[in-house]
Amino acid sequence: MKIVKKEHISVDEIVNVLQNKGLVIMPTETLYGAFVDATNIKAVAKLNEYKARPFGKPYSVAVANQQMAKEYVEINENAKSLYDSFLPGPLTIVSKGKHQVAKGVESEKGSLGIRIPDYQLVIDVINKLGKPITATSANASYQKRPYRVEDILKNISLKQKKLIDLIIDAGELPHLEPSTVIDTTLDDPIILRQGDIKIKDKNEVLSQSVENTQNLAKNLYQKYEKHLDQRAIIFALEGPMGAGKTVFTKGLAKAMGIDEEIVSPTYDLMLNYESENKKSELVHIDAWRMLTSSEFEDLGINKMISDKSVFAIEWAEKVSGVIRKYNEDAVIVWIKIEYPNSDQENERKITWGVL
Amino acid sequence: MKTDINTKILAIDTSCDETSAAVTQGVRILSNIVWSQASLHAEFGGVYPSLAQREHKLRIDWVINKAIQNSKIEFKNLDAIAVTVGPGLAIALGVGIDKAKELATKFNKPIIEVNHIEGHLLSPFARSRNEQSLIVDNQFPALGLVVSGGTTQIILAERLGKYKILANTVDDALGEALDKGARLLGLGYPGGAILERIARDGKKNSYLLPIPMLGRENLNRFSYSGLKTALVRLVEKIKKEKGQLSQTDIQNLAFVYQDAAFTHLIRVLTYIIHNSNIKINDLFVGGGVGANVYLRNLLRKMAREENLTIHFPYSKILFGDNAAMIGVTAYFSYQRRNYLKSKEISKIDRSPKFRIDSI
Repeated sequence: MKIVKKEHISVDEIVNVLQNKGLVIMPTETLYGAFVDATNIKAVAKLNEYKARPFGKPYSVAVANQQMAKEYVEINENAKSLYDSFLPGPLTIVSKGKHQVAKGVESEKGSLGIRIPDYQLVIDVINKLGKPITATSANASYQKRPYRVEDILKNISLKQKKLIDLIIDAGELPHLEPSTVIDTTLDDPIILRQGDIKIKDKNEVLSQSVENTQNLAKNLYQKYEKHLDQRAIIFALEGPMGAGKTVFTKGLAKAMGIDEEIVSPTYDLMLNYESENKKSELVHIDAWRMLTSSEFEDLGINKMISDKSVFAIEWAEKVSGVIRKYNEDAVIVWIKIEYPNSDQENERKITWGVL
Repeated sequence: MKTDINTKILAIDTSCDETSAAVTQGVRILSNIVWSQASLHAEFGGVYPSLAQREHKLRIDWVINKAIQNSKIEFKNLDAIAVTVGPGLAIALGVGIDKAKELATKFNKPIIEVNHIEGHLLSPFARSRNEQSLIVDNQFPALGLVVSGGTTQIILAERLGKYKILANTVDDALGEALDKGARLLGLGYPGGAILERIARDGKKNSYLLPIPMLGRENLNRFSYSGLKTALVRLVEKIKKEKGQLSQTDIQNLAFVYQDAAFTHLIRVLTYIIHNSNIKINDLFVGGGVGANVYLRNLLRKMAREENLTIHFPYSKILFGDNAAMIGVTAYFSYQRRNYLKSKEISKIDRSPKFRIDSI
């Protein structure tokens, strides 16, 4: 382990260490980071050992610019506007990875966090190396945030110290917050879309109000209620944010005789309500936060689907492939709520049909 | 029986996205491990929330071992094991409960069942490992405000363990509203933290968004879905006029959106304080949104005007989901002898919609 003052080291020397699978500790605009060549398996293995990281925790990587980022991740529209507005800076943007980095750097789901540090030394090093480097805090997992080289050395074992090849000391850094992580993959239609939804016997109404929408829900429930006792009913709800998917579900609940307040299941993922007469159950699910349809299946849909259950699934288009699988067990009513092209704030175009 | 300030508890929380374990001694935190990107430990990079049960299963042993290791307490020296039984996602809660039962049986320890919302509510009682002054004044009856991704509640705490819900959301929770607002502004997910950061450069009144339930605070309800829809409409309008949002637009919209959301919160809270039959002197604040500095400043200002003493958790990690708050809450339950001996633990079950007023 070699400690050198920042003013006494050249970019070439640092790059040389990284090229030889070395582990370098350098300052950044947020804190001291531990850096290795993110494309080299051996270098990443060394970093894993140093960080004493638990299984399955990915690293984000630092690149020099957006151009370079494009070689490693797919930058969608959302990510592009974030890059344009906020990078370089203390922001890590997660996108779908292109599997061009060493194993274990991307998440198990294949996404990769990218950072463009606002710190010239790090940018110079990446440019010279021509590859991304891992961007992780230099402390071992779950230790104090390192603003000084002493903060790091104090909290690691001799064995860990031996894994460090080079430390660049820039004194005490300003105590800034670590970078904020934001995930842009939830917007990625390529991953999420599971094919077009074809609806038979398509119907359409223009709802003028919350009450209108809830009444439609009630009418639809009454129309399909007769299938209960034989099959479940799935109301698959599709529509942009704020369109009124939860409002529709409130209408369903009223029709089913549920007195409890229906609230958004976005955070909880799933909320179950039993009707007053205990004859049926409403399962309210939100797929908005789900990245894969297996997360939907993991909720235990198999166990809940019965001739007494009514499902209201928000953001159903994200898991439409899985929903279709329940065609035998359930009547699937596909409902699409849209903002029509009008100035009437409360108007919604609602179309529906059976899958 | 030991009910002193040195009661040592291993606490486990797997109610939603985070897998967390902590060791507490009375109200002092000996260790608090949270596996999550939203925590302090997120460092530069991270994972996004993994929601599935198997993710909790993969992490739980590591998280518990780390909590034990950092606390320097051995399993055999623990007084009890605490676990969150609800509210939360059933399959996720199950992972923590099963693990708590397994450990309780193995080491012959009692289990304390904890309500996650009570954990947030009592999180301001938590103290650091080295804290010397551990005297808890009698601050009850007190008001509690729990604001997180899934909860927006004003709670009357008559005393420890006895609560009434005074106001609740009828649609979206505050944290969810902030995350979704951030998403509408193209700020990714989870966006609450970045929304706050960006809003710092926004201007008040630069755009007009409706304050939810204005003039209807007497209904004791929170509602955020209408505000979200108003933001959708406003963003559409600006995009139609200008093609896309500029950085200044994003900053301004972030400010006015956050400001409208918080104004609604404070207005309902103030209404309840003004109309309470019981003299309230203290306000406890917990939950992830409490980490928002702008909100804390608004709450402090309100508390000054209303002559209330306001209590926040002492550290940022205690705002989000974490097991230390579960340990502290369990300590108070343990003092009231509210626990199950290791032979009785088969009774313990997950309670996905566990309300704080039904403890």
